[in-house]
Amino acid sequence: MTKKTTDGLHSYIPRLAEQLGQGRVGRRDFLRTAALLGVSSTVAYGLADKIMGTSSAALAQSATPKKGGTLRVSMNVKEISDPAIYDWSEKGNIGRHIVESLTQVGSDNVTRPHLAESWDASDDLKTWTFRLRKGVKWSNGDDFIADDVVFNFERWLDPATGSSNLGRFSSMTVEEGGKKKMAPNAIERVDAHTVRFNLQTADIALPESMGDYPALIVHRNFTKQGGNLAENPVGTSPFALKNFRVGETAVFERREGAYWGGEVYLDGIQYVDHGDDHSAWLAAIASNQVDLLYRLIAQNVPAIKQMPQLQMYETVTGQTGVARMKVDQKPFDDIRVRQAIQACIDHGRLLEIAYQGFGVPGEDHHVSPVHPEYAKIPAMTQDYDKARKLLAEAGHGNGLDLTIDCVAQPAWEPNTCLALAEMLKPAGINLKVNILPGGTYWDRWTTTPFGFTSWTHRPLGVQVLNLAYRSGVAWNESSYANPEFDKLLDDAMGVLDPTKRKEKMVPVQKLLQQDAVIIQPYWRSIFTVANKKVKGFEIQPAEEMHLNKVWLDA
Amino acid sequence: MVIFLAKRVGYMLLTMLVVSILLFLLLEVNGESVAVKVLGPYTSIEQRNIWLENNGYFRPLYVRYFDWLFGIATGDFGQSIRFKAPVSDILWDRLGNTAILGAATYAIMVPVSLTLGVLAGMKEGSALDRTISLTSIGTTSVPEFASAVLLAFIFVFTLGWLPGTSAMSGGFDPVQLILPVLVLFLYGFGYLVRMTRASMAEVMQTPYIRTAILKGLPYRQVILRHALRNALIAPFTVIMLQINWLLSGVIVVEFFFAYKGFGALLLEASLNQDIYMIQACAMVAVFVAVTTQTIADIGYTYLNPRIRLGG
Amino acid sequence: MTDNAIRSARPSKIMQYLRRAALIRESWVGSIGLGIIVFWVAMALLAPLLAPFPPNAQYVPFMAPGFNLPPTGTFWLGTDHLGRDILSRLMWGARTVLFYAPLATFCAYAVGILMGLAAGYKRGWIDDVLSRSADVILSFPILVLYVVIITTFGASGINIVLAVTFASAPGIMRIVRGLVLDLRNRDYVAAAQTRGESSLYIMFVEILPNARGPLIVDACLRVGYVIITIGVLGFLGLGLPPPDPDWGGMVNETRGMAMSFPHMTIFPCIAISSLVLGFNLLADGLREVSLRD
Repeated sequence: MTKKTTDGLHSYIPRLAEQLGQGRVGRRDFLRTAALLGVSSTVAYGLADKIMGTSSAALAQSATPKKGGTLRVSMNVKEISDPAIYDWSEKGNIGRHIVESLTQVGSDNVTRPHLAESWDASDDLKTWTFRLRKGVKWSNGDDFIADDVVFNFERWLDPATGSSNLGRFSSMTVEEGGKKKMAPNAIERVDAHTVRFNLQTADIALPESMGDYPALIVHRNFTKQGGNLAENPVGTSPFALKNFRVGETAVFERREGAYWGGEVYLDGIQYVDHGDDHSAWLAAIASNQVDLLYRLIAQNVPAIKQMPQLQMYETVTGQTGVARMKVDQKPFDDIRVRQAIQACIDHGRLLEIAYQGFGVPGEDHHVSPVHPEYAKIPAMTQDYDKARKLLAEAGHGNGLDLTIDCVAQPAWEPNTCLALAEMLKPAGINLKVNILPGGTYWDRWTTTPFGFTSWTHRPLGVQVLNLAYRSGVAWNESSYANPEFDKLLDDAMGVLDPTKRKEKMVPVQKLLQQDAVIIQPYWRSIFTVANKKVKGFEIQPAEEMHLNKVWLDA
Repeated sequence: MVIFLAKRVGYMLLTMLVVSILLFLLLEVNGESVAVKVLGPYTSIEQRNIWLENNGYFRPLYVRYFDWLFGIATGDFGQSIRFKAPVSDILWDRLGNTAILGAATYAIMVPVSLTLGVLAGMKEGSALDRTISLTSIGTTSVPEFASAVLLAFIFVFTLGWLPGTSAMSGGFDPVQLILPVLVLFLYGFGYLVRMTRASMAEVMQTPYIRTAILKGLPYRQVILRHALRNALIAPFTVIMLQINWLLSGVIVVEFFFAYKGFGALLLEASLNQDIYMIQACAMVAVFVAVTTQTIADIGYTYLNPRIRLGG
Repeated sequence: MTDNAIRSARPSKIMQYLRRAALIRESWVGSIGLGIIVFWVAMALLAPLLAPFPPNAQYVPFMAPGFNLPPTGTFWLGTDHLGRDILSRLMWGARTVLFYAPLATFCAYAVGILMGLAAGYKRGWIDDVLSRSADVILSFPILVLYVVIITTFGASGINIVLAVTFASAPGIMRIVRGLVLDLRNRDYVAAAQTRGESSLYIMFVEILPNARGPLIVDACLRVGYVIITIGVLGFLGLGLPPPDPDWGGMVNETRGMAMSFPHMTIFPCIAISSLVLGFNLLADGLREVSLRD
C-alpha cells in the first residue's frame, strides 16, 4: 500500500528535493512537507542542507545550557481536568507539562514527531501508520504503548466525551442518524508500538491535528482512575504537578529519572495567574516577579522596548480576526451589501491603527502568507465610489445602520471594530460597535448577524477553510454554503505538492474573496517577553509553551 | 441590655434572610438559564434537562430556596462554574487574603487619620486645620484607579522600587502589599479625618472642656484625658462602617494589582456569570457588612453614656 | 397668617434663595469648587464648538501632547492608541459624565425624598417597611451591588442610572427621614395641620424646603461619588459602551501603555479627579456658609 523508496522515505520526497534544488519550493515548505510525510527532522534538515548548501548546525545554540532554577511564567491558570475537552491554549500549556502529544508543531511552524517516532501515509493519504517511540514511561511506571493511543482516539471520537477532536479527526468518523461517530476499524492497533489509522477521506493535516492541544495523550486507565488530570496527574512529561489552584497557580517540579526526550534543564516551572488584566502581566515582568509572559499584547510592545533586562519575541502567524457577515440574514444576504462593506476597507490602515502595524494586511480569504499553500492573488482595494454605487443598487442609498458584536478583551478586537466603523462612515454606513464581555459574546458568536471573531493559528491554510467555510460545519459562523467552494477546497486538500496546491488554492481564495463573506483586516504578529536570563525559549505560533529545553542563565 | 442585643442580632438575621431571598430570586429563578451557565451554551436541551433533574431544579421554588439556604447555613455554597471546585474551597482563602489587606490598611489608616483629625479639630479654622482638611478633600477626590495608575507609573515603571503585582506567588511578601495598601489608604483616610475632626471640634465646644481649660488644667492633659475619649466615639462607628466601604474598595485595587482576594474573586465571578460564586460572595459581603454595622451600633451605645438603651 | 400671606411671600423667598446661593462667594474653597464645575460644564456644553476634532476620528496613534499634523491641526494633549485626539475626547467625555452623574443623582433624590418624606411624616408601618428595606439595600457594600447589578443586566447608561438610584435612594431616604422627624414637630407644621392642609402639601411645601440645606450639601458630595462610580465601572470594563468617550473607559483602555505614553492615561485621570474635587470643594464651601447663618 505505502510505496517506499530504497532509503525508506516516502515516494514523494525525491521530487520534493528536486523542487527545492530548483528553487520552486522554499526551505520551510520543504521541511514542513518532509515532516508531514514522516521524515524525521534531522534527516529533513540534513537533506535541505545538502541541497541548499546551508548549515542548520550553525543555528544551534552556542552557549552550554545550565541546569537548575525555577522558571516563573505569568499565564491564566484554568481548570485542566480533562485534556480531551480543552478549549484554551492556556489549558494545553499546563496539561502539556504532564501529558504529551504524538506530534509537536515547533516554533518554525514545522510539525515534528513527539511521542510518535515516525509515520507514513499511503499515496491517497487515507491510510496513515504511526510508529510510537519505544522506552517512554508513564510517571506511574507503566510503558507507553499503542493501547494508550487507541484508548485516547476511541474516547475522543465518542460523542459523549464532547471533545473538539471529534471534528478535528472527522476523517475517522461516519455520520449516522445526523450524528457523527467513529468509523468502524478507523483505529487499528498493529502491534504494541504501531497504530494505523484508516480514514474515510484524505486528510493532509493529520500530523498537525495530532499536535493540537486537545490531542494530548492520557494514560489508558485515565477514565478508570477518576478522569481528572489535576487530581491524578499521570503523564509522560518530564515534570510532575506539585500544586494546582485554578485562578492562582500551577507548580511543577522535574521528575526523577530519565526523560525520553533527553536532558531537561529546569528544576521547576511555576505558572502564576495575574487575572485578565494585561497591565498586571506587564507590571509583573517589569518588576521581575515572573521570568516569562504567556502573551504580550501588541499595545505593550513599546513599553517592553524601554526595559533593557527583557527580551521580546515576535512571530508573524496565522492568528487573525474576521468581521464575518451571516450570509443568510438581512441585510447581508445581499452580496452587494457585503461587497460594498469590503470596498470601504483599507486593510493596511486597519493594521496600522488597530494593531500598530505588527503583522501583514489581510486579503479577505483567510489564507495567510505563512501558510505553505498561500497563493498570491490581487488584494481588494479601498474604493468608496464603488461602495456607494453597490449600496445604492442594493436599496441602501440613503445610508445603512449596522451593528457588529465583538468581545471586550483582548483590546485589539474592539479596536479593530472601532477603526472599521470609522472606515465605513464615508460610504454612508453607520456601524455601531457592540462590545460584550467574553461570556456573553461567545454565547452568540455563531448566531449574530455581524460579528468579529478571532481565529487562532493553524499550520495549514486549508485547515481553517475546512473548519469555518465548508457548508454546514459546526464552526461555520457565516453560514456560507457554496457547493463550488466545497469542491474546490476538496481538490486543494488532495494535493501534497506545495506548488501544485498553490495553483489549486487560487480559485479557492478568489471565490471566498469575491463572495465577501469576511472582512479580514490583518494577520497579526504575536509577542511574548522574557527576562534575558531565560535561554533557549522560542515563541510558538499557536502560543504553546515548549519549556523542556529552556534553561536559566543565573 | 440583653433585650437590646437580641433585637440588634434579630435585625441582623432578618436582613440576611431578606438579602438571601433577593439574591436567590435574582440569580436562580430561571432554572433553564442556570443550566446554560453551568453547562455552557453548546449543550442540548436533553443534557440541560438531565442536569436540572439531577440537581433538583424541577422542585418548587420555595423548596429549592430552603434547600439552598440550608446549604449556605452549613457552609455548602455549591460548585463554582469557573473554578470547577467547591465554592467554599476558594472563598475562604480569598477572604483571608482580603482580611490581611484590610488589616494592613487599617493599621496605617486609623492612627494616621485619628491623629490628623484630632489635630485639625483641636483648633478649628487654624492654618493646620485648613491644610489637613483640604488635603483630605483632595485625596478623597482621586478615584482609586487613578491613584493606582499614577503610583504604579511612578514606583513600578519609572523608579522600579516596588513590585507591580501582588499575586504573592512566592509565598507571603509584605513588599507586595505596599502599593495596594497605599491606594486604599489615600482614598479612604480623608473621610475618617473629616469625621474625627468634626467630632473633635464639637467636643472642644462643650462647656465641660471649656471649663477644664478655663480652670487652668494643662492643655495637653485636657485633650488627652478628657476631649479624646468623647471625640473618638463617632470615629469608632465610622471605622466599623468603613469595613463596608473597604469591601467595595478592594474590588478595584485587587483587580489592578492581581491580588488574590475577595474583591477580585467577586469581579471575576460576576464577569463570568459564575452564579454560585456570586451568591456566596454577596452573602459573605453582606454578612460582614451587617455584622460590623451591628457591632458599631452596640459599641456606640455602650461607649456613649448619653444614649439610653432603647427598649 | 393666612394662605394668601404665605403665597405672596413666595417671590421674595426665591430672591432669598438666590442671595443665599451667592453667599458661596464668601467661601474661597467653595468658589474654587464652583469654578472647576463651571469650567467642565462649559467644556461639555461647548464641546461641539470647542473640540478641535471629532471625538472618534482616528489620526496618528500615540502622539505626544502638542503634536502638530499639518494641515489637520494640533493635538494639544496628544493622541491615544487609536490616534484619537485626547483633548476632544475629554471634552465630549465631560458631556457623558455630566449628563449621567447628575441624572443618576437626581433620580436617586427623587426616589429617596419620596421615601424619606413618607417614612418620616407618616411613620407607622410605612416607616417600618421603608426603613427595613433601606437597611437591606444599604447592607450591601455599594460597589458589590453595582457589579452584581451591571453584570446581570448589562452595561448601559440607563442601567447605570437605575443601579445608582437603587443603591443610593435608601441612603438619601435615611437623611430625609431624620430631617423630617426633626421638622415635623415645628410650629409651622402644626399650624398647617390645624389649617387642614393635606399631607402632601405639608410634606412638600412646609417640610421639604426647610430641609434643603443639608440635602444640597449631601447632593454635591453624592454627585462627586457617582462620578467616581461611573469612572470605576468604566475602569472595570462595565461602563458605558465604547466608542463614545467615557473618562473611566479612557483610563482603562490606555493604562497598559501608560509606561511609554503616560499622557494617554494621566489626562483622563486628572479630568475625573478635578471634577470630583470641584464637587467636594463646593460641598465643603456650602457647609461652611450654611454654618455661618
